Amino acid sequence: MKWLNIKKAGVLVAALLFTAAASYAQEKVSDSIAKLDSLPVTDSITVSVKDYRAGWGKLIPKYGKLQYAGNMGFLSIGGGYDYGVNKQWETDIFLGFLPHYSTSKNKITLTVKQNYIPWKLDINNRWMVEPLTTGMYLNTIFSDDFWISEPDKYPNSYYAFSTRIRINVFLGQRITYKFKPETHKYFKSVTAYYEVSTNDIYVLSAFNNAYLKPKDYLALSIGIKVQVF
Amino acid sequence: MFRKLLFIIPALLLLCTACDMFDAHPYDGQITGEKGINAKNIARIQEATAGKTTIKFAMMGDSQRYYDETEEFVHKLNERNDIDFVIHSGDLTDFGATNEFMWMRDIMNGLKVPYVALLGNHDCLANGQEVFNTIYGTENFSFMAGNIKFVCLNTNALEFDYSKPVPDFNFIQQTLNEQTPNHEKTIFAMHVRPYSEQFNNNIAWVFQDVIKRFPGLQFCLNGHDHQIQVDDLFNDGVIYYGSANMEKKSYLVFTVTPDNNYTYEVVEY
Repeated sequence: MKWLNIKKAGVLVAALLFTAAASYAQEKVSDSIAKLDSLPVTDSITVSVKDYRAGWGKLIPKYGKLQYAGNMGFLSIGGGYDYGVNKQWETDIFLGFLPHYSTSKNKITLTVKQNYIPWKLDINNRWMVEPLTTGMYLNTIFSDDFWISEPDKYPNSYYAFSTRIRINVFLGQRITYKFKPETHKYFKSVTAYYEVSTNDIYVLSAFNNAYLKPKDYLALSIGIKVQVF
Repeated sequence: MFRKLLFIIPALLLLCTACDMFDAHPYDGQITGEKGINAKNIARIQEATAGKTTIKFAMMGDSQRYYDETEEFVHKLNERNDIDFVIHSGDLTDFGATNEFMWMRDIMNGLKVPYVALLGNHDCLANGQEVFNTIYGTENFSFMAGNIKFVCLNTNALEFDYSKPVPDFNFIQQTLNEQTPNHEKTIFAMHVRPYSEQFNNNIAWVFQDVIKRFPGLQFCLNGHDHQIQVDDLFNDGVIYYGSANMEKKSYLVFTVTPDNNYTYEVVEY
């Protein structure tokens, strides 16, 4: 019953946001490249230093993220890169911490996450809403008890899945606050997000089973993103 | 409208927190709800069957990913009142994931009669065994039902790479040496039977030799092969009865009677 209410409320919120999406035109201006190009270039040494930073600077993550839960660790910290005309793509890498709970060892996880953010809606010049985020992430766990493909001791296709690699898909929403550039030198903006996700083994489990309900096979996560570049 | 959203979204999140949906990982080993089930249920079985000479029990297993079918089994079994207890022969889970153990536990806990669960090979995947040990207890255990000693063993040797003795002859020997009052008959239960690809087949006949030293050995029970089996594996009169998986919607009922006899039936639901 509780879940039904949440689902109804969720659908309502999503519908409201999609309606808003259709009526708002928006553009995202990224001016860091333009700024760099407009730097005064006086001699060949400066030119080479500038080129070097532009080249290697690309490897520095543009933002940091901190995520709680979502089947990729209790708490995950990572960074990533946004790209595309409207910065609609984001690729993240996370390291996650998984406490031992009822098992004997704490574990570390690694996650590669691909996000797609089709719409960015400015509420005013400080606040922005992204009504839909979606994507997938691959998660691996560092532990000897897990394997990527089953060891040779098993007959062929004995288990036919990997205990170590999980494929997750998600839907979510975000809200962003843009700092005033004159007061915040290092951070451009901060974003809070939540996601609803599931993974391959939960989908397989839910298949053909009315017993499993969305609260069983769906997971919730929340996170923060801090934009630096 | 957007200002309202600022309040609606956090409110939704708070609501969802209540439904326990912030999952850390499918293999996180984060167990909520009942733990140590086998020990508690064994106490119930021993108390309820004390002094009885006719014991009637049900045997099923391999319920992995068959949640609906297992739930139906629980309803059907609850409709009868002639069963003393239930043995789950293992493979509670398909992937060894923590939530799978809890989902299956919550279904099986719906049984009115007590049940015990054995460790299946799928339950050993990743850190599944640690979760099994927390929710159910040790993988080798024994209990008395009337004058029958049930010896439940981990026989999934392929999962353990010689890091553990499987089957554990020390445990079997200790159980044999116990001077249990009224121990007149013995029944063995295991997930995989000898000569299965999981069993340590080098010692299959040794295993058979040792279990025959137990007083009044009646028969052996196994799961794993997902079909009903009735086989005299060693041509020595000791029958191995295998239960089908839950997909087949059937279970076995054994009635052990005082005249040193027993009957079994396959119940389809």
